[in-house]
Amino acid sequence: MRNASETLELERALTGARWLTAARVIALLALAAVLVVFPQTTKVGYLLSTGVVILNYAVTATGWNFMGGFTGYISLGHAAYFGLGAYGTGILVVKAGLSPFLALALAALIVAVIAVPIGIAALRVRGASFVIVTIAFVLILLLMFQSMGSITGGSGGLSLPRPFPDLIRTDHHRTFYYIYLGLLAVMLLAWWAIDRSRFGMGLKAVREDEDKARSLGVPTTGAKLVAFILSAFFTGLGGGLYALWFGDLDPVFQFSIMMGAYMVLMSLLGGVRSLFGPLLGALVVGIAIEFFKAQYGDTQFHLVATGLLLAVVVLFMPEGVIPAVKGLFARFGPQASSIREISAADLAAERDAEEASKP
Amino acid sequence: MSLFVQSLILGILLGGLYALLASGLTLYFGVMRVVQIAHSAFLILAAYLAWFFATSTGLDALLSLVITVPLFFVVGVGLQRLLITRLKPATLTMMSVLLTFAIALIIEGMLGFVFTGVQRRIHFSYGSASVPLFGAEVPVVKLVAFALAVLALGGLWLILKRTEFGQALRATIQNKEAAQLIGINTDRVASYGFGLGLATAAVGGTALAMDATIYPSLHWHWIGPLMAIIVVGGLGSVPGAAIAAMVLGVAQSLLQIPLGTTWAQTVFYVALFVTLMVRPQGFFGGRLAQRF
Repeated sequence: MRNASETLELERALTGARWLTAARVIALLALAAVLVVFPQTTKVGYLLSTGVVILNYAVTATGWNFMGGFTGYISLGHAAYFGLGAYGTGILVVKAGLSPFLALALAALIVAVIAVPIGIAALRVRGASFVIVTIAFVLILLLMFQSMGSITGGSGGLSLPRPFPDLIRTDHHRTFYYIYLGLLAVMLLAWWAIDRSRFGMGLKAVREDEDKARSLGVPTTGAKLVAFILSAFFTGLGGGLYALWFGDLDPVFQFSIMMGAYMVLMSLLGGVRSLFGPLLGALVVGIAIEFFKAQYGDTQFHLVATGLLLAVVVLFMPEGVIPAVKGLFARFGPQASSIREISAADLAAERDAEEASKP
Repeated sequence: MSLFVQSLILGILLGGLYALLASGLTLYFGVMRVVQIAHSAFLILAAYLAWFFATSTGLDALLSLVITVPLFFVVGVGLQRLLITRLKPATLTMMSVLLTFAIALIIEGMLGFVFTGVQRRIHFSYGSASVPLFGAEVPVVKLVAFALAVLALGGLWLILKRTEFGQALRATIQNKEAAQLIGINTDRVASYGFGLGLATAAVGGTALAMDATIYPSLHWHWIGPLMAIIVVGGLGSVPGAAIAAMVLGVAQSLLQIPLGTTWAQTVFYVALFVTLMVRPQGFFGGRLAQRF
């Protein structure tokens, strides 16, 4: 039996949890509304194209998080899949004459297929060695795509025709903005579904303790591989879409370590464990990057800024902004437990409150 | 035939340089379980300092080592004490990659900021001289760079084998807890080990710059081969890294004849992927490697 004060505490916790859920839903709807309405509020081409760039960051960061967030394997080389998706789409359109969106879908599938052997090799090692392999993969692709000039255009670049030739510039940006937004919505939905599934549970067990997960019967190798392929597929889709939108590819930019670093930075900053972490990170970091490039485009200053930001995130909030801010609020808000040691009853109340707060 | 001999000799010289550059990486990993992505950025930094020293004083760029080696040692100790130790032990390896990646970006950005992106080259009085060696013409700068690598690696070997500090360092690498039990201050040893690793970057960067044009983003070009070398050699094994460096350096040099320079580069990546498929812990030593 709970005594009166405990019941009161539980009720307070429940009310708090309900408020939190409501606040979350409202914030989410507001964010979605802003994202949907934004392109209607402006006719300025620069702002619209920046919007597309930011969404592109959000798509790649969320794509990265299918691997990084669930399994804790940090890939610094996801630009490889972005570049493969972009070049796959470009080559299929220019050399094979496929229609743009068919080429996009096919290229993303090809990226997924390429990710299978790479994933098998890379996932044989953990932690640092995995990171090394992912970096190496981008560097080798950069070399290859620069050398194979007859297919990829080499350093001269590869130009794609526009998929919607009749649209004027701003409408072109606006159309792609909504396509990107749709892709992002699908990806977030998929991430959310995996997060709640048994499969997702297995992946998160890998993140917490791979050996233990394995000894408990989680098929870790298969699960990691599926997450890796899924992550590569979505990142490849993002790359292909970028190729169709931007229309001009260069190996140096498509297979850039910086691109992979941005994905990691955005995801870590926002928080890899939460659904909207990478999106939040992309909004913050993406706007900062575009600002720095516009202001100090000629200097290397944006590298220093990115480096400092990454160092700060790694040193002070490796769990991301969302948990860090929550921790800050918890410190100043009412304390969860008094000085006395936490009792089993307190724990049960906490658990109940948590259960109740789940949507 | 003489082309083959020439490539072989150049490959051995190159392998020596690679061994020097990779030895630092192995040291960090051995004592701290840290993967230092910024190592090659520090190489380029040392190369720029050597260039700056040579152009502003008019002296031989090699003399800059008197300044850069101690400087890099101190910076290494500082980096380890102030930044690396702040990372949580559970995620140390992974987070160290990101932290040192950030350091690499900061160095590259600052180099571009201070020295601009213009390509630089150090001029030596013996820059265009070459000597005949077994029927091949070998540039003097390459020989000097190799000599520098041999001296640095020999010095490193002497420190590790013959000094008390080296003994403590090796003990820390082999078993940290046991080293602590017999009274070794492993934290201090680790920071000195980190400094030592960075000091090799000062020598390596200067040796590298003797024969190459330098620019701020050059470090990306080096990070792949160096990482491949330490994975093939087995993370944490100094002799493994040296052997892998020599084998891959010679292979790259020989493959340049039929394939050209760009495709010869891929030998490192092929070796990396083959190693992971066949023997993920590396070919020499490195029983630790798979877990990290």
